[in-house]
Amino acid sequence: MKGRVSRRRGFSVGDALASGLGVASLALLAGFISLPIISLVLWTVNEDSWRAMASPVTRDALLLSVRTTAISMFIIILVGTPAAYVLARAQFPGKRLVDSLIDLPAVLPPSAAGIALLLTFGRFGLVGEPLDAFGIRITFTTVAVVLAEIFVAAHFYVRQAVVGFSQVRRDVEEAAMVDGAGRFATFTKVTAPLAFPALVAGAVMAWARALGEFGGTIIFAGSFQGVTQTVPLAIFSALQSDLDAAVALSVMVLGFAFVVILAAKFLLRKAADLED
Amino acid sequence: MRSRVLAGMVALCCLIPASGCGVSSGQENDNAGGGGDDTLTVFAASSLTDAFSELEKTFEKRHPGVDLRQSFESSSTLLTQIQQGAPADVFASAAQEEMDTAAEDGLVSGEPRTFVRNREVVMVPEENPANIEEFRDMSRPGIKLVLAEDGVPAADYALEILGKAESEYGDGFEEDVLSNVVSREADVRASVNRVALGDADATFGYASDYTPDIRDRVKVIQIPPDLNIVATYPIAALEDSESPELAREWVDFVTSGEGQRVMEKWNFEPAS
Repeated sequence: MKGRVSRRRGFSVGDALASGLGVASLALLAGFISLPIISLVLWTVNEDSWRAMASPVTRDALLLSVRTTAISMFIIILVGTPAAYVLARAQFPGKRLVDSLIDLPAVLPPSAAGIALLLTFGRFGLVGEPLDAFGIRITFTTVAVVLAEIFVAAHFYVRQAVVGFSQVRRDVEEAAMVDGAGRFATFTKVTAPLAFPALVAGAVMAWARALGEFGGTIIFAGSFQGVTQTVPLAIFSALQSDLDAAVALSVMVLGFAFVVILAAKFLLRKAADLED
Repeated sequence: MRSRVLAGMVALCCLIPASGCGVSSGQENDNAGGGGDDTLTVFAASSLTDAFSELEKTFEKRHPGVDLRQSFESSSTLLTQIQQGAPADVFASAAQEEMDTAAEDGLVSGEPRTFVRNREVVMVPEENPANIEEFRDMSRPGIKLVLAEDGVPAADYALEILGKAESEYGDGFEEDVLSNVVSREADVRASVNRVALGDADATFGYASDYTPDIRDRVKVIQIPPDLNIVATYPIAALEDSESPELAREWVDFVTSGEGQRVMEKWNFEPAS
């Protein structure tokens, strides 16, 4: 009773303490995240390591990362969208199991994922051995990088897409079908646009995860400039000999990621405006 | 993004009880004698993994209450970490160069001591899918060769050997071998593991990397002695050590007759 009265007055020690704690926590978290980022940029400026950004290693790593994450995202969206729709709409035996299975790579340490992929697609792997008989080898190729990225990142897109599809009301879809739209048209014209913000959010998360993928790639795909050495691997490799280059690459990927997050936020705002 | 932050927080939360544990075990150790700082951190080249792990057990038995921690990575990675202020007490490098740089930077206390020598070999999977019978075969096209990263001593030695082989075997040998490289691994143990798993057809490793663990999965192809290098391993206590006394004792132990016998058991050649 007392609490309610004081709350109405909008002033109490408890409230002040709670909001103070909230602000302090937020400041702590923001500081904790921004300090390392500031350190990276400061180092780049002070040590004048900009020149490392133009090196062939850096360029190849960036190009490879852009290329592989683009392919991974294309496949994830192509396969993940219908898969997510089925998970959101259909009931079938074993659904819970499939659902958990898709979440598994998000919990699995990436290094464990890398070993698992190696034991599957490696030369003596379950799939790798028969492929090897045809002269097809996956380890040490760009294909392996893409597989590792899809393995660890697909979850982030599918999970968000399922949430997005679940929020589209069934009667809206049914109304479209009553109006004569086919199942596919209903999906592309009604369901997908309504779930768009969730799909974009999921795609950005998945892309970020794919871009940062390290453990699985280095274990499964190996590390070679222009073929399997993505940005995170190039950073790790540069640490062996050239700290400046490692820092420069980190700063570049930081800027790159920042632009993508901003672009995604912009897209989402646009989508929200359209809905209004 | 959110999940990363979460993961970071979880990691942080895990660290806190862990450090609490460290403190409490330190206090227990005080009863066993010694007192003061009872942790010794050794940074050692990855090729020393097995030998130093065996020495660690003996050392800890002799120094009750001392917690010896070892970090095994490529000498170049360890050097970078030491330069960035990693709390290490001893540095054992697989090459003179890394130790020289550490000494030039004023990171080393006293004179580094060479404690073992090592040679390189070529390792292939037991099944030998690329059919490599002698060192010369390494230039055959299509071999999937794995090397350690640029700057890792094992890889630098391999390049040195290939340079020598170039003048003996004729034009293009070095280039042909290097065009077979499909991956550069973080350290020499990682590249040997590629062969042990059978995914790579060959790699350069040290004679000491042919450990009992991998003997049934890996075959050794000798490098002709006139082309081979002798890797010298220096060890030194570090200037910023918080347990200089223990650091010195570890260096003494590694260079002692007993330490040398253990190193020999793991296929290293004694220094003297």
